[in-house]
Amino acid sequence: MDKLNFIYPEIFTSLSIMSLLILGVFKKNSSSLINNLSVLSLVGALILILNYPLEINLNLFNGGYKIDYLSSYMKILTILSGIFILITSSKFLKVLKLFQIEYPILILSSILGMMVMISSNDLIVFYLGLELQSLALYVLASFNRDQIKSSEAGLKYFVLSALSSGLLLYGCSLIYGFSGSTNFDQISSAMIGDQYGLTFGIVFILVGLAFKISAVPFHMWAPDVYEGSPTSVTLFFAIAPKIAALTVFIRFLYVPFINVIDQWQIIIIFLSVASMIFGAVAAIGQKNLKRLIAYSSIGHMGYVLAGICTGTNQGVQSSVFYISIYLIMNLGFFSFLFMLKKDNKYYEDMDDLSGLSKNHPLIALSLLIILFSLAGIPPLAGFFAKFYIFKAVIDQSMYFLAILGLLSTVIAAFYYLRIVKIMYFDQEKIIYDKDYNLGLKLTLIASTIIILFYFIYPSKLIEIVSKIEIII
Amino acid sequence: MLAHSFFFYIFSFIAIFSAIMVTVSKNTVHSVFFLILDFISISCLFIMIGAEFLGMIMLIVYVGAVAVLFLFVVMMLNVAQQKKQWFSSIGSSKHIPIGVLISVIIFFELIIVIGGWKFKPNVSSSLMLSPNIGISNTHSIGNVLYTDYIHLFQLSGMILLVAMIGAIVLTFRKRLGLKKQNYFSQISRERSDSVELKDVPTNKGVDLDG
Repeated sequence: MDKLNFIYPEIFTSLSIMSLLILGVFKKNSSSLINNLSVLSLVGALILILNYPLEINLNLFNGGYKIDYLSSYMKILTILSGIFILITSSKFLKVLKLFQIEYPILILSSILGMMVMISSNDLIVFYLGLELQSLALYVLASFNRDQIKSSEAGLKYFVLSALSSGLLLYGCSLIYGFSGSTNFDQISSAMIGDQYGLTFGIVFILVGLAFKISAVPFHMWAPDVYEGSPTSVTLFFAIAPKIAALTVFIRFLYVPFINVIDQWQIIIIFLSVASMIFGAVAAIGQKNLKRLIAYSSIGHMGYVLAGICTGTNQGVQSSVFYISIYLIMNLGFFSFLFMLKKDNKYYEDMDDLSGLSKNHPLIALSLLIILFSLAGIPPLAGFFAKFYIFKAVIDQSMYFLAILGLLSTVIAAFYYLRIVKIMYFDQEKIIYDKDYNLGLKLTLIASTIIILFYFIYPSKLIEIVSKIEIII
Repeated sequence: MLAHSFFFYIFSFIAIFSAIMVTVSKNTVHSVFFLILDFISISCLFIMIGAEFLGMIMLIVYVGAVAVLFLFVVMMLNVAQQKKQWFSSIGSSKHIPIGVLISVIIFFELIIVIGGWKFKPNVSSSLMLSPNIGISNTHSIGNVLYTDYIHLFQLSGMILLVAMIGAIVLTFRKRLGLKKQNYFSQISRERSDSVELKDVPTNKGVDLDG
């Protein structure tokens, strides 16, 4: 246990969960305090990760837990998203009278589960991390329990997620049965020839993982759950679990099963193409902005999967790069949603945006930038994200996939631009309150600036991401 | 040996029979009882192969806690008597073809999987592992659970903690307008807090609010 100091971030997070829980029980009306302390403890975990050089590569707990550049980078992304979610959503929760001590604690425990998932190098560790994060997410989805839609979202997510966990466990049992180990490295050394059993195991596990990142055809839950949950939880759903599940995707496919790439590549290509096209087409008819962002996230996951299916380091790097930009864009979009408040009511329909530019020119401008970036219009950050994905795909001569991806980008641009049209050219309707709190302003401004001025200095993030080398 | 296989078949038969009865019995309470019977016979099977710890845990956790909880919920919710059997009701019978199709597909997948089974080269050596006779099952589980798998053990604890928080968040309701007795403030009450002496002038009366 001499390497225990490398899992200090996890230990610190779990200790702060427990101590904050105790504090919340004994101190009355301490919601704000606990919220701020949770942000602080996430910052602490971030510092503990950065405390060691990120380039280390070591296995802990008999190889079941891996600390390497990929895991550290993804953990930093997850923790950053957690921090921004907590600082943007406190006002929203206060208005909805949901500002309870359990909310930040559940977010923290979900992040702990994600950190375990990200570092997992073993099927059992991975599964326990997955359950820890989903269990907190079920509760968060139905956090607004007096509203029927929120309860529906929680129940729907719970039932479908339990089903996918069942499939995933079935896949795990097949892989264990045919390779004799749950450890990724040992599975990879136990691979002899192509065995049907292992292929079936991969398929079942991919089904479970695709459910978690809501890739088509396992996306049915996403629009309802996104719409029903409180908006701050929707934001969490839209980014954090996807980062964790993407890491598991990469590690699971590239460590044990990179030699049988012909077995799983076609599955990932199908998931990717279906998600890109479905995400673009189904979003066109949506009226509710949260449903729209659900379909948009389905589409974006399609692009991420397109990077993974190449089977190269470059593809993985482009996927990781894409999800980082996706995180920034979603943070901006949702902090915009938190600003649509009037008389203690939040608006989330597309019609509520009409004529927004007349009374709120600055917010409208930043939403314009975020939407253009989501649509992938140069020279914004979203364009670069898509560019690297397509570059990685074309380098592997998968022209078909690149063409379909580009086509669905064009279709998807339609609904992003329609929001811009409603915002800038329609009759003005509602004047919203302007009492934004600091975290909200900070998040919106920061994400807009990063998206807008990314092209000036694009090499830094690429440099960071290009250190991820999963295939040696 | 004969007695061993005799009991094995008895318990297996009871397990399969009661598992079928869980799904087909009309009364939900009967279903739960058959579930308990199923758990008990499976734990007997566990004990027969020498896994006495798993068998006892199965009895304690599944029969003692989970199934009894089920029983309570079923009785509380008053759904004991299902009016329509779900096989014969019109609403659900149209899903049967899809269900049958999926089951057939999974069945053939299983056949393919078992047909393609190849043993690992060194699997027979691990089958021949001679267990240490001196250490009981419980001991050997403890030996790995608290050393090699300590992180998983701790993580399961966190999962249970989150489950507990979740259950409280979703069901606990603060009751408003509740009058509580505070012993400390009752005891520490002074005479001067509640009794006020006033001089009452004749024919004037007292201003009560003042």
